[in-house]
Parts: sequence; C-alpha cells; structure tokens
Amino acid sequence: MTTLDTGLVPARRLIATQVDARFSLAPGDRALVVPGDSVVVGAPIIERLRDARLDELEAPDGVEPVPGSRWQLPAKRGTTAGPTGETMFFWHDRWRVTLGDVADAIESPFAGIVRDVQPGTGITIRAAGRGIPGVVALGGPTRGRLQTGADGELRSGGIDVGSAGTILIVGSRVDAETLTRARAMGISGVVVAGLSSKERRDFLASEARQRAALHRLPPFAVLVLDGAIRRPLAGAVQAVLAALAGHEVAIVTDPPMLVFDRPNLVIPEPPHDLVRIRSGTLAGREGRFVKAVGPRRFAGGVQLEAGLVHLPDGTMAAVPLGDLERFV
Amino acid sequence: MTSEPRAFLALDTGAATTVAALIGRAGGRWRLIGALSMPAGADVEAVITALGDRAIDADPRLAAALDVHRGEAARDLPRLEVTSHAPRRLAVVAGSERALAPLVATASRSGWRTVSGEIESMDPLPMATMLLDADVTGILVGAGDPPAADERRKLAELTALIASIAERRPELTIILAGGMAEHLGAFGDVGRRKGEVMLGPAATRDVPGGPLADLLIELALPHDDARRALGTGAIALAEVLDRRVDVVEIGFDGGARALASPGVGGGPATLDLAVVPDAALAPPDPDDSVVDRVSVWSSTWGADRHRLRDRLRELRIAPWSDAISDGATLRMAAARAALGRLAEWTPEWNDRVGPDLVVATGGVWAVAPAPSIALALEDVLRRPGARQFALDHARILAPLGSIPDADERRAMVMDLVDDLLAPLGTFVTPAGMRPGRSAGSVVVRSGGGESRLDLMPGGLALVDLPPGTAGVAEFRFRDRVSLGGRGKHFAIDVTGGLAGLVVDLRDVPLRLPDRADLRGELLDAWQSVLVTGRDA
Repeated sequence: MTTLDTGLVPARRLIATQVDARFSLAPGDRALVVPGDSVVVGAPIIERLRDARLDELEAPDGVEPVPGSRWQLPAKRGTTAGPTGETMFFWHDRWRVTLGDVADAIESPFAGIVRDVQPGTGITIRAAGRGIPGVVALGGPTRGRLQTGADGELRSGGIDVGSAGTILIVGSRVDAETLTRARAMGISGVVVAGLSSKERRDFLASEARQRAALHRLPPFAVLVLDGAIRRPLAGAVQAVLAALAGHEVAIVTDPPMLVFDRPNLVIPEPPHDLVRIRSGTLAGREGRFVKAVGPRRFAGGVQLEAGLVHLPDGTMAAVPLGDLERFV
Repeated sequence: MTSEPRAFLALDTGAATTVAALIGRAGGRWRLIGALSMPAGADVEAVITALGDRAIDADPRLAAALDVHRGEAARDLPRLEVTSHAPRRLAVVAGSERALAPLVATASRSGWRTVSGEIESMDPLPMATMLLDADVTGILVGAGDPPAADERRKLAELTALIASIAERRPELTIILAGGMAEHLGAFGDVGRRKGEVMLGPAATRDVPGGPLADLLIELALPHDDARRALGTGAIALAEVLDRRVDVVEIGFDGGARALASPGVGGGPATLDLAVVPDAALAPPDPDDSVVDRVSVWSSTWGADRHRLRDRLRELRIAPWSDAISDGATLRMAAARAALGRLAEWTPEWNDRVGPDLVVATGGVWAVAPAPSIALALEDVLRRPGARQFALDHARILAPLGSIPDADERRAMVMDLVDDLLAPLGTFVTPAGMRPGRSAGSVVVRSGGGESRLDLMPGGLALVDLPPGTAGVAEFRFRDRVSLGGRGKHFAIDVTGGLAGLVVDLRDVPLRLPDRADLRGELLDAWQSVLVTGRDA
C-alpha cells in the first residue's frame, strides 16, 4: 500500500484550525461590537428586533443620515436615551427607518475577535479555538458543557433534568420529540451523527413556534455531523469529543461547527490509512485501507473504482472508493 | 530530444467528481490514452499518478514513447484544466410581477441562483432584508424598455431602495436592465465602487436567452469555469462534425445546455449556452417539488417520501457514496428529475431546429450504464425527430474547450473526436401515431444486411446496430406523423451505438401512469429493452 493510494480516498477535515463564524443581522438589528473588538464568552454582540417595522421620519436638523447607520430617536421621559433604528433609504422627503419595540440580546458563544460588521447583513467573529465541522446546524448559536449522552439513539425518557446547561453527544440518531424535550429541560444543544428529514422538519416547526412566543427559551442548537441516515459517529470524531467531555464548547450555525477553545489539547492526526465506510452493507465500520484495486463490479452490475479495506475482525472487503472517507 | 510535449493531461475538477484524462501523440495525431474518474475529495495528484501508472501497465511501450513514467512523473505533464464553481446568488427585483418574471427566467438559466421580489407586492423591509442577505453577491433590477405604466410609478421608490443598498454594500455587482438605465444617476460615482454598476438590455418575455443572458453568464462564470469551456468545446465539435450539437450536462451544482451549430456559407458558428443551477443533481434542501419529481422517475422510490428525501440529502453530502443497487436507481431518477428542471428553464430549445447529435456529459453519468443515459435524455428532453446520442465519457470536451485559440481547439477536437465520444446510438421518435394498431414498418439496411420491424405504438423497438456501423432506416407509416417534417415515408441515416437503433413509439411528451406501481413497471420495462434487447 502506498501513501498515494490513500490519496484516492475522499478526505474529510476532522478539525478546522481557524473558525470564522457568521452571525446574521436583519435590518434594524443592532450590532453591539465593531471590527477589532475582543469578545468573551457570553458577551452580548447583537440586539435582535422581534417585530421590525419601517417608519417614515424626518432627519433632525444638521444631521445627514447615511444608509446603514443608526438612527437615534429622542429620549422619552424617564429614560436616559431614546431608542435607535437603522437608516434604510430616503424617499418622498422622508427617511425610512427600521425600528422595533422589543429586542433580544444575542451573546457570543465563544471568545474571539470581531472581524467584520455589516449592518443588516452580519457579524463575523474569528473564534479563539478550533472546530469540528458538521453538515448542518439547526437552531441558534449556543454554548454549554459537553456531556456524553446515548451511544445509540437518545429517547425522550432518557433525558435527565440534571443535564441542563449541557450540550449532549448522541451517538447515532435522535427524534424531534426528544429534541424539543431537551430544549424545554434547559439543555443547550445536541450533537448527533444523523438527523432524518422528518425529524428535522418537525424540530424546525417547533423552533418556529418558539421564536414566535413571547417568552422564549434560551438558545438551543442541533449539530448534525454526518447526514440524514442512521450511522454511528466516526471513531476519530468520538475520540475528540471524549477528550472535550466536561469542558465548555459552543455550537455555531454558519458554518455548522462545534467550537472549542482548549489550546493545550493535542489532537493526534488519525492514521493516514484509517478509513470509514460511509454507506453500503458495511456502513459505519472502520478499517485500514490496504490498496486501490481498480474498477470492480458490484451489485446491480455497477462498475466502480474500489479499494481493499482490512476490517478489525480480520476480514478484507472490497469497497467502492466513493463509500469511503478518511479524516485529515 | 524534442521539446514539444508528447502527452498532456486534461483535468475537469468538478464539485463532486475529479476526472483526469491522459492525451498523447500516437500515429501522428492526438489520442485519448486513458481517463480516470474519482470522487472530488480525492487528492488530484494521487489521481494523476494512478492514471499514469495504469497507462504504463496497459502499454509500457506506448507510455515510454509518450514520456510517461511510473510514480509521480505524470504530475509533471502539461495540463489543460477547468473547474466547476458553486453558483452565486443574484437578487432579482422589479417594479411589477409582469416585469419580474422574464428577469427571473433569464437570470435562472444564466449561471445564477436567484431570489426575487417585486415592489408592488413586497414591502420595502422584506425586500431590503432579501437584498442585504450575506449570500447575495449581485442585484439585477430591471424594467421594460420603455417601462410599462404599471411599473413606472414604482421604479423611483425601487431605485431609492437599491441605491441605498448599493451604498452600504459597495462590493455588490448591480445590473440595471432595460428601462432602469435611466436611473443610473441615483447610484452616484459608480467608478469609485468596488463592485460594478452596469447597464444591461431588457429581458424579453418568453425569450429567456439573448443579450441579457449573455451578460449574466459572463458575470456568473469565472474564466476557467468548466461550463464556460463546455460552450466553446461544443462549437468546436459542431464545426468538426458539421452537425448541430446539443451538449447536455448534469452536475453537482447545476446543469448546462450548449446548442452549437456550424457556420453556414462561411459564416461563424453559433452557440446558445444556458447554465441552470436549479438543475443540480441533488439540490441543497430538497423540497416537495424536488421529491415529487424524483419519485415520478423511480420504480422503487415512489412510496416513502421521507426516506427519499433523506437519500437525496445524503446524495448531496456524499455524491459518490451508495452508488450500487437502489442507490444507482436513485441516482438515475435524480438525474432525470434534474434534466426535467433543465428543460423547464430552457423552453426556447424546443423552438430551435432539433440537434443532430446530443452529447451527455457530467459526473452524474460516471457510473450509469451507457444505454440508460440515452434513455434518460430521450425520456426527458424528447421531441419528434431523429438524433444520435453520445457520451463524453472521459469529460475532455470542457478542457478542450478551454484552449484559447479557436483553430488549435478545432484541430485538437478533430484529432480526438472518435475517442472523446462514446456512441450511445440513434433514437428515432415519431409523433402523432394512433394507438391500438400497427403504425407501420421500418426496414434498416446496414452492412449488407436488412432488418424489418413492425411498429406498434406505445413502446420501444430495438434494432441491433453496434458502435461503428451505419445504415439507412426506411420508415413507412400508415398515417402522417411528425418526424422532423410531416409525412408517411422517411429515409433516415442512422449510426450504431451501445444502445443500437431505438425506434421510440411512445408519446411526445411522455405520459406516465399516475399510480406508482404501474409507473414503476413501465419504467422498468423500457429500461430492460435497452439492457436485454427485447422489444417493449
């Protein structure tokens, strides 16, 4: 087996050494940071309007508003400062300004440096730390203490109220009912290998109802690491998660990632010939890549480029290269 | 020792598939020596090394003559390289729904993912939210030329909004189409902006191609983009073959059609190029319409919509995985659904003279049986007439299309034309037959032999015509049918292929049963005609 042969197996990034997370801003939302600011965990970074509206206002004397800038309204009796809005555009002798009466504070789930702020578009923060990429993250940015949950499927009844404030690791699968129950119990997030489309749809519907409610629960996120079907977590990922258990981590949605700041944590590179079988009859199993064996005929008469994999039970299997992945 | 290279690599780095082809000089011309397709996450240099080693294993003397040596030496060969780029998002806005529709139709087939709104029914705040989204990299705002009455009264407000967005996001490209050009002054000193503000022609209702589409494609596709090169490659192929060629591509991030015609009377060749991100094999977030379309074309995936959606998501995450058994049928169903979306965004193709040759290309076909590819194209892009089908099996048409000099490009295609196309066969598709009785007969004369078939409407009739053979098919219909022109008697030149000669006696357009089980039986029956050779 040559190192070049393993180069034919699709690679997947295990750890992102640089994480630039984006937090979206809608018109009217107020950024509480500017580029170059350092933020700590829990620092408020955004005031997000709940029900934004567009008002027509005249500019105060001597003020030349600029689209995207904050519009300062006069202070009301009993307050030290008036509300602010976001200047949108000038039309028919008046400025259109986005305002709202109720705002929620969005906190940074990790420490970092603000890289960019674009009003109405988003804030980009470079995290102090590294990240485990996923395929999608649902919900909103959150943080908590990482806790191992179920190795297989996590059921609703298996959630302990003592896990409030944690981010649970679920081995293979979770359903929407369990996710909503976890959120209600104060769990900050769930990390799962796969989330089916049905559960995803049901959870997102529940999230939408939550956002529309007057009294909202704390932020909650679901990070999906692999895809939409049931399979166990990759061994390399499990090893990193096990090393992070008990420590504070964050889940961000853009990009979908588990962010951790443990500079002293040494994560050894996975063996270069360690491969994981992503699909097929051996889905979820891991082994050592022996060599590429060229085109092989598989079930249904399909010809695919294949590789030989040496499995832990001592057997060898010819697996399509497209069904394999290796972590780098 | 000559300094002229005796071999080079043609690389097509797609979003899901990396293809490396080794092209070498043999017998006084360039020949395709070999090609290798791998999942995109594979190391390109490892793919090239494996390709070189296999060429040496197959023919050591030829490899030595081409200066291809074992190990990493193949990596040093010169390269022609094209790359697929993820489509960017364009916000399309207008003063009315009537003005918006042709703009969206044009932009969506010109290499852009689109979001859209018109100020008549969309409030300024949600429109501003849409335009400020971080994923939006350009704004197309258009009006009729001159603007119609229903849009004119809204254009000034729309302009004020767009100008304010342009001021706060100077990196955005702004295209003012048609009557919007008179509002250029609202954007201030456009020369100082990082992003361009440009004027474009008006979009035309029911004509999604044209100058505005050309402008949008030029903005959408980087210079080394594979789909841009596919267009110039199609022109070279049409000129070399002296045929009308329709290159149809389905890929991870979209689909493309390039209809090229050779010049007439010394005039230049013509090209219609459409790049449709919506025609991706597996869209990022498959909605019900995507799932419905895939299930229509599947004999095994019709019933369980949730499971089908899961598999489509998996196909998006790992396009090469799960490619056998029901994964293979899912892939073909998804490819047909993508072809359907491609056809919907390019309706003007049906108004053109039909192509003589349809060339399939793209990573989706990498693991599909060759006859199934032709059937998929015929089923979805069907129109009456006779046409040959071929497969760009090594995906070298796009890399060849990237050769800057047209004469050099044409010369290279001329050398490689027999190698680059795998002939799939000829389909003859008459329309207007009456069901329930024989429509007529066909006699195929080829290689000194003769085959006679009775033509029963509703199925496929197969004549064994291997690759490399040519013949003449004489049709005699009982009633007048449409087959290019209208008539009862036709004599058509046909060429063989992996699927042979297929007389397609099904409806145009294809009508499938509503019941999933009956539909599945029919699809399987047609599929097996091409695989086993028995008529259906």
